[in-house]
Amino acid sequence: MKFRVELVWKDDEDNAAESIYLTSDGRVILQGATVSPADRQALALPLDGDLISVDKRLIRAIKDML
Amino acid sequence: MFLRNYWYVAATDSEIGRKPFARTILGEPIVLFRTEGGAPVAFEDRCAHRHLPLSMGKLVGDRLQCHYHGLQYDRTGRCVRIPGQDQIPPDAKVKAYPVVERYHWLWIWMGDPALADPARITDFHWLDDADWGAKSSYLYVKSNWQLIVDNLLDLTHLAFVHESTIGNAALAEHATVKVTRAPNNVVVTRWIIDQPAPPTFVKVGGFTSNVDRWQIIDFTPPAFLRLDVGATPTGTGAPQGKRVGGITMRNLNAITPETEKTAHYFWAQAHDFDVKNAGLTQKIFEQIETAFHEDVAVFTAQQRSLDAIPNPPQVDINADTGVIQARRILDRLHTQEQAALHATAAE
Repeated sequence: MKFRVELVWKDDEDNAAESIYLTSDGRVILQGATVSPADRQALALPLDGDLISVDKRLIRAIKDML
Repeated sequence: MFLRNYWYVAATDSEIGRKPFARTILGEPIVLFRTEGGAPVAFEDRCAHRHLPLSMGKLVGDRLQCHYHGLQYDRTGRCVRIPGQDQIPPDAKVKAYPVVERYHWLWIWMGDPALADPARITDFHWLDDADWGAKSSYLYVKSNWQLIVDNLLDLTHLAFVHESTIGNAALAEHATVKVTRAPNNVVVTRWIIDQPAPPTFVKVGGFTSNVDRWQIIDFTPPAFLRLDVGATPTGTGAPQGKRVGGITMRNLNAITPETEKTAHYFWAQAHDFDVKNAGLTQKIFEQIETAFHEDVAVFTAQQRSLDAIPNPPQVDINADTGVIQARRILDRLHTQEQAALHATAAE
């Protein structure tokens, strides 16, 4: 097992954001949902490449914590 | 940097009696004593007349008498007697601080007395809970208080500083770490699964095989760190909340800044197994005390480095995540407190 850190941010009402992972190889991994082909089509998003959808609370967490 | 509108531990209950006791807190000299009825009292440690520390004086009933010219102060800090003079000037008084006795510690409020709500005292019930065995102590530390907070929020150092007691290599190489940051709280949860028990755990827990070990560090501003630590034989379900066949302890820390470069460090170790066994409580305490003296040597050396070259650049690593979040909370609270003070002064 490698040393890694999971970072969780909570707001004033104790609602937790999705996790941020800091890995031993120096990456920052965000927890989110893969954007489906149907969503890409419907929302005019790029059809290729890895896209994830994240909760706005996670953006607050990134601004506040990283 | 100090936060003022907080309760701090000023002393242990046994330190304060009928002899005036001097201690500097947040840069303010304070004298503590007990009334004849046992109630704790704290004043600024400076006579209103010619500034001799009142801690050099003595108690006359419930009055504190200055050693120099015999002015006497009642428990509110008001001068009530000037030898040879009937008239007492209205300015003849010293600042009195709110004090509460709880968990075998005396807590002092260093900020606006109107905000001193005892309900805000951080919970350290393990120190006088019959379901726990506990022993506490005090260390005087020649370092900034935040270095101690940093130390407790990043326990990877146990692998290197405390390898003869509570540390081993597994802590740095095999831990999963979760840092939960709330507006005014940081919790660092560390699990070390299926790894050898450190020497202290073998001594007090009798482990003969690998363990699942946890370290759950709860930081509350300004400088309270309550650690839930322990281990169970590996695979028995501790990560799922089933703590059987092992040991659970609390390591309890209350740090009170003396100056920007020195601190009062109140700490305790509590255990929830064989709680009436005073010999066991002492044995656990001695193991942890050994580790804490190792920490103090680190803090002191760090402070010397910082004194030699103030504000040097520093590198952050993943293990610092909890430390960084705590420092951000402290910086924000300090900014808010200063803004409120300036707003009040401007009114």
